[in-house]
Amino acid sequence: MSFIPGLGIVKGMALTLRRFFEPKATIRYPEVPADVSPKFRGRLQLLYDEWGTLKCETCFQCAQACPIECIDMGGIDTKGRYHVHWGPPEQYGERREESALRRSGRTVPDKAYEHFEPIDTDRVEAILEDHDHDPKRMLQILEAVQAELGWLPVAALKHISFRTGAYYALIYGTASYYRHLRLDPPGDAVQGRAFDAARPAESTYLSGLGAALEGRGAAVGGGAAGSAVH
Amino acid sequence: MAFDDPSAALDVAVAAGAFEGLRRAVRDLGPTGTIATVAASGLRGRGGAGYPTGEKWRTAALTDAPRRYVVANGYGADPGSLTDRAMIEADPFLVIEGLAIAAIAIGATEAVVAVRASETEAVRRLEGVISAAEEAGFLGPDLLGSGHDLSVTVRPVQGAYMLGEETVLLNALEGRRGQPEQRPPHPAERGLFGMPTVVQNVQTLAAVPFIVREGAEAFTRIGARGAPGTILVQVRGAEREGVAEVPLGTPLREVVALGGEPGRGRTLKAVVVGGPSGGLLPPELLDTPYEFGALRAVGAHIGSGSVIAADDRACMLDLARLLTGFCATEACGKTIPCRIGTRRLVEIADRIVDGRPRPTDLQLLADLSADIVASALCDHERLATLPLTTGMRYFRSELDDHLLRSSCPAGVCRPIAVGAGSAR
Repeated sequence: MSFIPGLGIVKGMALTLRRFFEPKATIRYPEVPADVSPKFRGRLQLLYDEWGTLKCETCFQCAQACPIECIDMGGIDTKGRYHVHWGPPEQYGERREESALRRSGRTVPDKAYEHFEPIDTDRVEAILEDHDHDPKRMLQILEAVQAELGWLPVAALKHISFRTGAYYALIYGTASYYRHLRLDPPGDAVQGRAFDAARPAESTYLSGLGAALEGRGAAVGGGAAGSAVH
Repeated sequence: MAFDDPSAALDVAVAAGAFEGLRRAVRDLGPTGTIATVAASGLRGRGGAGYPTGEKWRTAALTDAPRRYVVANGYGADPGSLTDRAMIEADPFLVIEGLAIAAIAIGATEAVVAVRASETEAVRRLEGVISAAEEAGFLGPDLLGSGHDLSVTVRPVQGAYMLGEETVLLNALEGRRGQPEQRPPHPAERGLFGMPTVVQNVQTLAAVPFIVREGAEAFTRIGARGAPGTILVQVRGAEREGVAEVPLGTPLREVVALGGEPGRGRTLKAVVVGGPSGGLLPPELLDTPYEFGALRAVGAHIGSGSVIAADDRACMLDLARLLTGFCATEACGKTIPCRIGTRRLVEIADRIVDGRPRPTDLQLLADLSADIVASALCDHERLATLPLTTGMRYFRSELDDHLLRSSCPAGVCRPIAVGAGSAR
């Protein structure tokens, strides 16, 4: 914009000179503590363990704690089957995909249900009706749905999430925590292996205790806890 | 008692003096008087931690809130201990009466009894008894003409060991993942659905009617100083196993003796006091009074009320590893010291049992246990270190045999490899 040749460089050098005499921002860091916000928690980074797998267990605890829900997190469940993810970004992610498809004029597949058989939502809906769609009664709802369907299909959890307004990840967290709730159809071999091996039933403990007291060695053959990979 | 006809059972119980305490709490004492009486009696929680009951009630009553809850914890998490179930099945009226007194005292309008879903008989009796008591006017709206409403529900819960912990149980009742919460605030200030909640073991509640009926002084005459009253113990000895009621402060020797003598040619080697997270106590400590403070001082705890006698066939390391292993798999996963720390404890014990200990393992075990205890969120992880730490403290020579001489005195552990004891 200027018509005087060289004015720009003079302006630039003036700024440089001004900065030159200003107090310095550099601090002698370890000796002088850095001035950071009290809520600063360092750089967020996902670390790898010595086997090259991510240390993050996708427990969603950071996402749950995040006050502004900025943590978008995805992963697979303990059986390596279902994708689980957290919070509103889950919807944004899906929506982004959807709108791209819609703009291009193609049909929009509902990815969330793609791998899972559709269920008769009326049966789930009747149960939800009985429990007033109250997310505080989630455990009773899940138990009733399992009694009705025999297990807890992902579609049912999604439906419960949709109707009660509770996050899918929270519902999944509840459903996967309790040993009597099953995320696989009865008779599915995966259930027996993954869940029972990782969390041996109380009977295992009792038989192990009996063996230990009689000197037969509880831990040696008992398939004890420590070796099970969670 | 026949519970097939709950209303008939109620008549029998009332004739025997049931709900006398509730009547006295409503008519004579009033809420503050009831709390003062319970506080004066020195009643402490039977769930294992031994927190003073009166103090808990006072906190809940003084916390300003639109509503309050009472939760009776009858979950009985320890699979080897049936004390809570025995309490509920033997006298559900006593539990319900204590629950009602607690509700009146703190001004709660809703009460929940959490029971193990697998104990169908206990659930059935409780449900029958509650509906009979409601019909008779001992529970429900305007109970005993006091103008106080109380609805009691039975909630069968199942699926996790951790549900015995109070904040875990509250989370489960709210339909969430069963994980403990940071304290304070204690549930008495902010518990179920964010409201002040008194969580008491069924045994604690069952002690309340006696205190209210007979007065605090009569109660303090039973049991130990600082821990009055009786408690149910699940004794497992060589000869028999079962539930017994003992006054607190009974020497451990007498409690163990209820299970009978060790078999022919056997000697008592250790007593596991407190269930899966209990401490391993040597016979020299059999004179310890069975009471909250004294047991904690020697490294055990009341816990589930389980007392298991182990004779010289058992290897202490093997036993400690089993107990810690159970605690590790049952960890809910909320905190890292518990989820990973207890697993590492088990792995260290694994290494020693398998005959490939590292030179630093003993130090590591001690340090890790101390770190877990220091950073614990709930008592589960704090106590999960007890089997190994008490094992190290009292059975050091046996541990040294494993570590230094590659032998297992009890002959339990897998034949230990030649050259073991060096770092792998």
